[in-house]
Amino acid sequence: MSVFAVNYLCRELLRDHAFRAAMKSDPASALAKCDLTAEEREALLAGDVASLYRMGTNAFLMGYLARFEVCGLTMPLYSERIRTAA
Amino acid sequence: MAEIVGALGVPHTPFFPSLVEREGPECETAKLFRKVTVEMESMRPDLIVMFDTDHLNTFFLDNLPVFAIGVADTFKGPNDEPRSVPVYTIKSRPDVAAHIRGAAVHAGFDVAMSQQFTVDHSVVVPLHFMTPKMHIPVIPIFVSGHIPPLPSARRCYELGAVVRKAVERWPDKLRVVVMGSGSFSLEVFGPRIAPGKSDGVPDPAWVTRVCKLLEQGDTQTLIQEATESQLLRAGNVGGELLDWIAMLGTIGGGRPNFVTPQMEQGHAYAAWNGG
Repeated sequence: MSVFAVNYLCRELLRDHAFRAAMKSDPASALAKCDLTAEEREALLAGDVASLYRMGTNAFLMGYLARFEVCGLTMPLYSERIRTAA
Repeated sequence: MAEIVGALGVPHTPFFPSLVEREGPECETAKLFRKVTVEMESMRPDLIVMFDTDHLNTFFLDNLPVFAIGVADTFKGPNDEPRSVPVYTIKSRPDVAAHIRGAAVHAGFDVAMSQQFTVDHSVVVPLHFMTPKMHIPVIPIFVSGHIPPLPSARRCYELGAVVRKAVERWPDKLRVVVMGSGSFSLEVFGPRIAPGKSDGVPDPAWVTRVCKLLEQGDTQTLIQEATESQLLRAGNVGGELLDWIAMLGTIGGGRPNFVTPQMEQGHAYAAWNGG
């Protein structure tokens, strides 16, 4: 159930402004402290929201990745990628 | 004796405050919120009870109640930073909220309780437009309408009926307006969003159908058709219709004063007089 950790860190992006800043400047270091599987870490760093969605990440929470533009995501890019999970 | 003097259905789109700030008081959204606000003011409420679905901001995946009620002197929100919305402190009525919860539990609804909580845009955006002075206390009742399994539409309607009975047993004079907050068809950040956007309306035909049934006052057909599969087909926030259905339970359904859809957003604004 480590997808809980992905969901949790997505919400931390909203709540913890220091974590948000760290994710914007150096996501690999910011995620080093998080208890993630290799697959989850790779998908997050690649901004691969379609894979994260298939792993069970909640869409609203994942939206914070686009809203705060971390892991290379922008809203148009997020939209393009998540739509492939339909 | 307390009484339910009216009911309102409203959307809570998080970008509406910034849109109205940009487009001004004559834009469609500003006008529609004014329309429901005029109705609300004519009802002269002392208290608002709001059925709401939280977006994993008040509750989270560590502890996710199907039904919950806020029992606090005050609560703050929004906790999710929608643009152009200050963080308000909202008064509540913990005595009435505890009374409603007691009545619900005794009627077989195991409603969870929080005495310390914050709320997200889904509670605050309608209040930002309708009661910006936050002078009317608000009791939030949370319905889990996003993360399946969803409670049934019938169950939500019956919860509304229990809330009505509880209000009517409150000994003091109190004019209560009930609000249902949410969309009928909307996908937010999920695979069915529109290209380039953060949301989309996957099932516009369902929005038309819901509005028609609301207009006709045909709540029983609405309850029958609002199955879990239909709500989920309407988008990942399609279950917010349950907040409207619970609201209808507090007034026994009936014909509205108006139902005005905003089709491109998948939602509507509506008002009913108390039954």
